[in-house]
Amino acid sequence: MSSISVCEGDRAYVCNKFKAPVFDPATGLDNDTIMQNLTALVDDLKQQPHPVVKARAFEYVARHVRIDVSPHDWFVAFGCWDGKARPLNFLLSRWDEEVNTRLTTLPLIQDLNRSAVCYSNKDFYHSVPDWDAVFTLGFPGLLGRARQYRRQREASETMTPQAQAYFDGVEITYTAILEMLQRFRDHALSRAFGNERMLACAQCLDSLTQGPPANTYEVLQMVYVFFMFGEYIDLIQVRSLGNLDRTVYPYYRRDLQLGTYTEAQIREFFSYFLMQWASIDAKYGHPFYFGGTRPDGGSEINDLSYLILDEFDKLDICSPKLQIKMSPGTPTTFIDKAVDMIRRGHSSIVFLCEPSIRRAMMGYGATEQEIRLCDITGCYEFVPHARGNCTIVACLNMLKMVELVMYDGIDPHSGIDFGCRTGSIEMLQTFDDFYKAYLRQLDQIIESAMLCANEFEKYLSDVNPALVLSGTIENSLATARDAYHDGCVYNISSILTSGFASAIDALMSIKEHVFEKRILSLEQLREVLRLNWKGHEKLRLKMLNAKCKYGNGIDAVDTYAEALARYLGSKINLRPNSRGGFYIASMHTPPPYHLAHGQKTGATPDGRMAGEEVSKNISPTMGADTNGVTALIRSVTRMDSAMHPGDFPLDVMLHPATVQGDDGLFAMRTLLNTYMQRHGVAIQFNVFDARTLLDAQTHPEKYQGLQVRVCGWNVHFTDMSRKEQDMFIRRARNIRE
Amino acid sequence: MPTTATVFEIKRCAVHDGPGVRTTLFLKGCPLRCRWCHNPEGIAPGPQLAYYDHKCLACGECVSVCEANVHSIIDGRHVVNTASCTACGKCVDACLGRSLRLYGQNLTVEHARQIVLEDREFYSGGGGVTLSGGEPLLQAGFCAELLSWLKQDGIHCAVDTSGAVGWQAFQKVLPHADTFLYDVKHADDSKHQQYTGQSNSRIVDNLRRLSECDVPIEVRIPLITGFNDDGKSIDSIGALLSELRGVVAVRLLPYHHAGSKYQAIGLDALMLALEEPSSVRIEEIAAQFKSLLDCPRVKLYV
Repeated sequence: MSSISVCEGDRAYVCNKFKAPVFDPATGLDNDTIMQNLTALVDDLKQQPHPVVKARAFEYVARHVRIDVSPHDWFVAFGCWDGKARPLNFLLSRWDEEVNTRLTTLPLIQDLNRSAVCYSNKDFYHSVPDWDAVFTLGFPGLLGRARQYRRQREASETMTPQAQAYFDGVEITYTAILEMLQRFRDHALSRAFGNERMLACAQCLDSLTQGPPANTYEVLQMVYVFFMFGEYIDLIQVRSLGNLDRTVYPYYRRDLQLGTYTEAQIREFFSYFLMQWASIDAKYGHPFYFGGTRPDGGSEINDLSYLILDEFDKLDICSPKLQIKMSPGTPTTFIDKAVDMIRRGHSSIVFLCEPSIRRAMMGYGATEQEIRLCDITGCYEFVPHARGNCTIVACLNMLKMVELVMYDGIDPHSGIDFGCRTGSIEMLQTFDDFYKAYLRQLDQIIESAMLCANEFEKYLSDVNPALVLSGTIENSLATARDAYHDGCVYNISSILTSGFASAIDALMSIKEHVFEKRILSLEQLREVLRLNWKGHEKLRLKMLNAKCKYGNGIDAVDTYAEALARYLGSKINLRPNSRGGFYIASMHTPPPYHLAHGQKTGATPDGRMAGEEVSKNISPTMGADTNGVTALIRSVTRMDSAMHPGDFPLDVMLHPATVQGDDGLFAMRTLLNTYMQRHGVAIQFNVFDARTLLDAQTHPEKYQGLQVRVCGWNVHFTDMSRKEQDMFIRRARNIRE
Repeated sequence: MPTTATVFEIKRCAVHDGPGVRTTLFLKGCPLRCRWCHNPEGIAPGPQLAYYDHKCLACGECVSVCEANVHSIIDGRHVVNTASCTACGKCVDACLGRSLRLYGQNLTVEHARQIVLEDREFYSGGGGVTLSGGEPLLQAGFCAELLSWLKQDGIHCAVDTSGAVGWQAFQKVLPHADTFLYDVKHADDSKHQQYTGQSNSRIVDNLRRLSECDVPIEVRIPLITGFNDDGKSIDSIGALLSELRGVVAVRLLPYHHAGSKYQAIGLDALMLALEEPSSVRIEEIAAQFKSLLDCPRVKLYV
């Protein structure tokens, strides 16, 4: 293994590049001036269609924003790096407001969000370009292809004003990209003063203005600048960097064969490349993925996969996020390397199981090739490669429906009436009555969420025309439709959930305590919950400690979880959306909705206090899984993941002692394989660090399942005395360090 | 009458108790009284109520369900009188602070088998079941019956034993066990007696006989400060093990402090607060074993 490839002085430059950048004023205008001029420019273009207005704004930024090329970096610097200061943000906000004034469902959207019954809004954060097209064509080729499609449309006399605006937008944007690359090149040349790295950078940029990239350095520079153009100028259009080990591999092989670069140089390029995202450190994370399956059935993991993972490991960074597409053919050595990194504290690695993705995508008719190459569009979501987009339009607060039943369709927190009358609770005589009422409230909210999304999604391309993205998607060019709106073959809208496990626990608690043990009536329970358990702490603990909790492999509980999950899928999957596509159900809870939804949900029968977080993903409520990780995986995979083609992610917590040594590595791999065999989709391991153990000291109720396990004995962490816990925290630190 | 055993813990996803991912059943009762015992709740043969006082909320729920007057709240403090406890477990279910735990439930062979089979998908790659304790071979009939069923189910079977039982007990499980985990504490008999309450002669004899039985043995050595962590003790253990062809692995288990468990079952007086061996010392001992054993035929785990 070579030594760290980013030297200290360079590391400081790259870190500051996005956190506290310094730009030479002579290279362009400051961002304030750009903003002022852009406002004026946009006002002048008021009569023009949005794609054209946005493209002209893009062009203006590309021409005037400050730039830098530094001897400390292999990659160029844009003056518009900051999420807050992205120059075209104002356009998105302005057009969003304009669209909102036209929405008849706006009051309902506001009600859904305000009550936290369901998050509902337009989503622009899940674009993935067709990276294969970007690699093959390069910037000039993408522009050329767009022009070709325009000419075809003109020749067939099918050009409409909308199509015209679309092509204008794409062409202006890509022309501006080429111009800006030349600006970078000229700047590098004028400041190089013989510096070899800057001259190489100038040469690389020159090459990218001429055609597709020819070697590893050019490819990486292209991915990076494409990302900056798409994400920071054209706005949030490059979530994922794609399948880097597959796409870069041919360049890497050729460079080594021809002697263009040595392995050490390629390592260096990758470490500087990865450092860019570590420096950007976007809160929602930019991922790329490893592996996948080749057409001949072999694994896509290659020697470059190891090299990239190696460099990431050495840099000790937590962004970009790493996803590993896993199948039975994925080399064990690669999985072990990743698993070893996880237990050493890399928390940004997630595994996605290909056989389960296949089952889920077959549910909406995706082809073998679309499935094999599927893109990962966000944390874990997957869509057909280069032929699909997937927006997140809603996140259902599954726990809130319990409150809606209690108050006959009215949210007690906000007082908003959602109109579904399931009757006063005195009428609910059996648990079955309650459960049916719950499902009806859920139906109502799903329908409301779809009603809203069906309307606001008509305007996605009006709010944020996806020009950079559309230029890469062939179906978009062929149809002259925006790639993030309805220009893909699959235009998918995903409905997510929060508090799934919390809802199951709450329902089970009502079943046990109200209808089976008859400890109290529903009316009494409602009153106790209204008081946030005040004066009823014993009852709260009883309900909190109840055995019937999701995530413990308990048949009677898992049956309900399975049924509810299936019900959700049946109500959502394949319903038509307003973009010529369809809805899919997802079990994903995007942070921070487990907190935000919890904050506005009152006390609930699972023993939860008002305002506390709700469960996330398909994971159990914090502290409710006391039977260990195998029982957890059995519970979770009792549900059919294919009913949730949006996503099906599980978080697993492990103590460092459990995963220590070769045995520990083997155990983690076994858990992973079993999860895959049982059709789990995404899984993220968290090995407890000292900080989490400290939290367990303060909030033991959340960590009832945490066991410290070493050879021959084990002990519940919360059973240990303070002194013993302290000792274990020290040991956890040592294991990790 | 179905055969039953008293089990004080079921550890799922056990990763250091034999190959692969395993389910370990801890059977109650132990003939030894090791002064450093990590599982004191496994010593007594019958079910046993444990009380973790730092978790107690003094809510009194236990008082109201207990028919044997084990629990009382005096001046806001929970007093537990286990002498009259029938180990019915009602107070454990009622406890709001999760401060009560019942160590020991009676399981039939079939129930234990079902528990093991629940996780069978996790046993791929060599995993399976481990019977541990306490000393599982004190209930050798149950062990043999359970293992014979599990063998038929295709489950890999391991027995984790102190060796401090009659050879007949080994004979019962031998036809079904795929591997043994065998504790060796000391080669010196007087030291062994002093620290465990029993001579090691039967343990050593059983180990020698087992070593000729064509079944792989992993020897587990607890490293106890002041007892067996000195060079001479390691030398003598190493010399003993190096003669035994059945020993395929040696695992060193550095001592951990297990004080809270002692307090919980009212054995505070027996609790020994020793220094945990330092990581440097553990490495030195490992190096010493490496030179004494026929590595790599014998694998050494720390």
